[in-house]
Amino acid sequence: MAERNIKEEIKAKLKDDVMQGALSKFAEQYPGSRLKSYEGQDIDALRNSFRDMKIDAVNHIEELADKFQASVEKRGGVFYRAKDGDEVKRILVEICRENNVHKVVKSKSMASEEIHMNECFTNNGIEVKETDLGEWMIAIAGHKPSHMVMPAIHLNRYQCAEMFTQELKEEVPGENIPYMIQKARETLREKFLAADMGVTGANFGIAENGAIGLVTNEGNARLVTTLPRIHVVLIGYEKLIPTVADAAKVLRLLPRNGTCQRMTSYMTMVDGPTPVIYEKNGEWVEEDRKQYVILMDNGRLEAAKDPIFKQVYQCVRCASCLNVCPIWTKVGGHVYGHIYSGGIGAVLTGLLNNGLDDFAKFSDLCIGCRTCVTVCPGKMPIPDIIDELRSRYIQKNGAPSMDGIFQSVMSDRSMMHTLLLKAASLTSAPFTNGKFIRHLPLFFANMTKGRSLPAIAPTPARDRMEALYRNNPKNPRYKVAYFSGCNMDFIFSDSSVNVVKVLQDAECSVVYPMEQSCCGKPILGVGDRETGRKIAKKNIEAFEKYDVDYIISACPTCTETLHETYKKLFANDPEWSRRAEAFCKKVREFSSFVAEQYKRMGRLTPTSGGEKVTYHDSCHIKRGLGISEEPRALLKAAKGVELVEMHNCDKCCGMAGSFGMKYQEVSIPMLEEKVKNIKDTGATTAVVACPACMMQIGGGLDKAETGIQTKHIADILAERIK
Amino acid sequence: MEGVLLPFRGNILKYEVTDVCDLLQAMCKGELIVKKVCRDWPKEAFGSGLVDECYYDEFEKNATTAAAKVFKVKDFAEGEVKLQEILKNLAAGKYDDKVLPTKEILAVGGEERPELKAIYDNLGKDYTVFTDKFDIAKHKASAEVGISVAEFCIAESGSIVVDNKSYEARVTSMLPYTNIVFVPAKYAVKDMSVACEIIGKVFKDGYCGFVTGPSRTADIERVLSLGVHGPNYLFIIAVEDMK
Repeated sequence: MAERNIKEEIKAKLKDDVMQGALSKFAEQYPGSRLKSYEGQDIDALRNSFRDMKIDAVNHIEELADKFQASVEKRGGVFYRAKDGDEVKRILVEICRENNVHKVVKSKSMASEEIHMNECFTNNGIEVKETDLGEWMIAIAGHKPSHMVMPAIHLNRYQCAEMFTQELKEEVPGENIPYMIQKARETLREKFLAADMGVTGANFGIAENGAIGLVTNEGNARLVTTLPRIHVVLIGYEKLIPTVADAAKVLRLLPRNGTCQRMTSYMTMVDGPTPVIYEKNGEWVEEDRKQYVILMDNGRLEAAKDPIFKQVYQCVRCASCLNVCPIWTKVGGHVYGHIYSGGIGAVLTGLLNNGLDDFAKFSDLCIGCRTCVTVCPGKMPIPDIIDELRSRYIQKNGAPSMDGIFQSVMSDRSMMHTLLLKAASLTSAPFTNGKFIRHLPLFFANMTKGRSLPAIAPTPARDRMEALYRNNPKNPRYKVAYFSGCNMDFIFSDSSVNVVKVLQDAECSVVYPMEQSCCGKPILGVGDRETGRKIAKKNIEAFEKYDVDYIISACPTCTETLHETYKKLFANDPEWSRRAEAFCKKVREFSSFVAEQYKRMGRLTPTSGGEKVTYHDSCHIKRGLGISEEPRALLKAAKGVELVEMHNCDKCCGMAGSFGMKYQEVSIPMLEEKVKNIKDTGATTAVVACPACMMQIGGGLDKAETGIQTKHIADILAERIK
Repeated sequence: MEGVLLPFRGNILKYEVTDVCDLLQAMCKGELIVKKVCRDWPKEAFGSGLVDECYYDEFEKNATTAAAKVFKVKDFAEGEVKLQEILKNLAAGKYDDKVLPTKEILAVGGEERPELKAIYDNLGKDYTVFTDKFDIAKHKASAEVGISVAEFCIAESGSIVVDNKSYEARVTSMLPYTNIVFVPAKYAVKDMSVACEIIGKVFKDGYCGFVTGPSRTADIERVLSLGVHGPNYLFIIAVEDMK
């Protein structure tokens, strides 16, 4: 296969108006419809009970598999375990030979897609028909499914009609959906009736009785398991559950998250060989259908042994992670280039099929916004698993070449600022408009398409800190150390000064350890933990020199890295693990810390009226750190400020670290959406608590010449200190 | 055990026997075993406190939301009237302005319930009704209406729980364009967890599950379309005194 150019593929998808229309409409409707389907339910309790059941299942996976096998065999089913796709295909061909099978119908099964099952039939002259309407249509056109649940979501009715026309050899009008449905019914009904063998996947397999569960709306799985005289089940290890009662834990979440229904039309459980009546040699007979169950490994058992990867068993294949993914809903499923798309697609591609190399091709399409984690039935931390996969990939293949320079720049601050300033003086000086760079010449031009870039501060924050120490309170309530991070140091130097000012006003004395470095997220984000550890050690050492109560950061991404990731980096190093633990415990995010202090000082009382501001929740502060009320409380209490909420206030602005630079073409439409939502509020200022969002949103508002300002929450608070 | 049974199988195809004791017991009692996951759901599966008619209204509401047409009747006599009415309405184009033929009807559940058998016999005067499993198999592709039975209802989802171990029950409820199901109105449960708990008590082998509205798809432009593979219509006749 020729080397893929994912950026070109993305560009083409962004120009596909049909798909763009469908996806944006769907992305807008999905969250509300999903919630409606849960009306009256304690969603979190349902999710926990499902997750716990699945965690228990993966911890006993071999036991569960043995039990499932024994149950199936006891009922007369023939059981196979297949190591990989090739073995599955060998088994299938054998079954067909043994039973003289010529025609196969199947109901949608992601496992069969995963191993390209169909080719084993067609290569052996056996007709195989997909019966799920969406899959059937796209198979005619030779497309791949773009979504696990809605395979043809990228098409409109006219494109669907073309596929009907091609398959049925008659003109099918696109206006008439009911006619197409009727035609599909007639055509596929013939296939059902003529088939010798039916192949299904399974939404779950029950160990205690050997039953499999199939959840469909069309009912094709019911026909596939009823009409042909042979039934083959292809099921992955991750679908095994202990008992029939446990099935409810799947069923109460899967349809609601998948299709926003309380229940799909058909939920069918097939347990062992069931009766079938058919014409055999001219005579009608009733027999027990032959049932074959193939339990497929293909990477699943290895994943089950890994403390991080085993969480993939918590996936119920509802695809809700795609439905809320800000990237997937822009680019669709095809650019992921594999059967499974979106965040979960990256994970499954990496873990199954020996697909780590395939994974690496699109793994950076996950921006770590964690929106998927908020809806996942199994509470699977998809971005963390992707992170782990990236790290494994780097371990195996080495860090990407660009990172040599990056690494030395990262761990040497003065070098970084010098370089940045050099680049900036070369490029930005003639093009700066106030605080923003609107146009960059030549090869930088792409970076300022759709957004202005902030100018590099003439003096980095670090060089302005010492002068501020004289304002430290005489009798501080707390001693805090400020961790600026790159953006707050080199770009939003003024905001850093404001951070210190606010902290001092909140009765804290502030110190800025000069040896601090980048938090390491950019390098950890691409999976290079070795360099990450070096940076972490440097930072921990820098802060250990000061005896402070708290370490404050006004960048949520840095905060998350310092507070969460550092601990994990030294899991196998007791000495550094202890030092990291002590460091992590002290780390606090700026706005929530200040809110706490203001509350203590009786300064968190809401005031009313004033300039309209709107607040954007950065991904890392809201879903990474779980902070959303505190910055709002600060804004409501700020004099002369009125907080108005924007639509989708917590949807990613499109910056997401280096993503915003690397994937301009995706990042800019996300930004434009954010800019529109901000404009619609009528606010004069957009407030953020994250410098990366500040760069993106500030750039977007400037480029669009909205006249709306962007401020860090520290700026708003500092302006109100006398 | 299987070996012992094999000679019997040809003769008692209508019924399924899982072991010799079952067979002997049944023969002693003078009854034969119906091909189902559970012979007596209320007695063997429901237990106490799980099934209650207080959940029926919620079931009806949610089933209707899922595009089923639900009618509650007092007894089988009223149910028969309703059934006749539905069939006439179908033929008269009262649903979606479509005239739907109702000439051939597949009907199961008569062996277990004499009331149903009587209804099917009466239907036979105006329609061609197939109740024998081989007749059902032979006419499955052409029949326009299927009539069958469900065991209980689920309030949370508006689903009916069907015990479709027999081939004829599955064909009857899936192939015809119209699916009519009798269900006991007083056998309703709160949610899917209770439903699965009940099923778990008796589900040793066979085929069962939930049916929630007619067959549907949204694969073309996410537009809801009914009847893509299975029935386009699901009529539920909930009978108050049905057991």
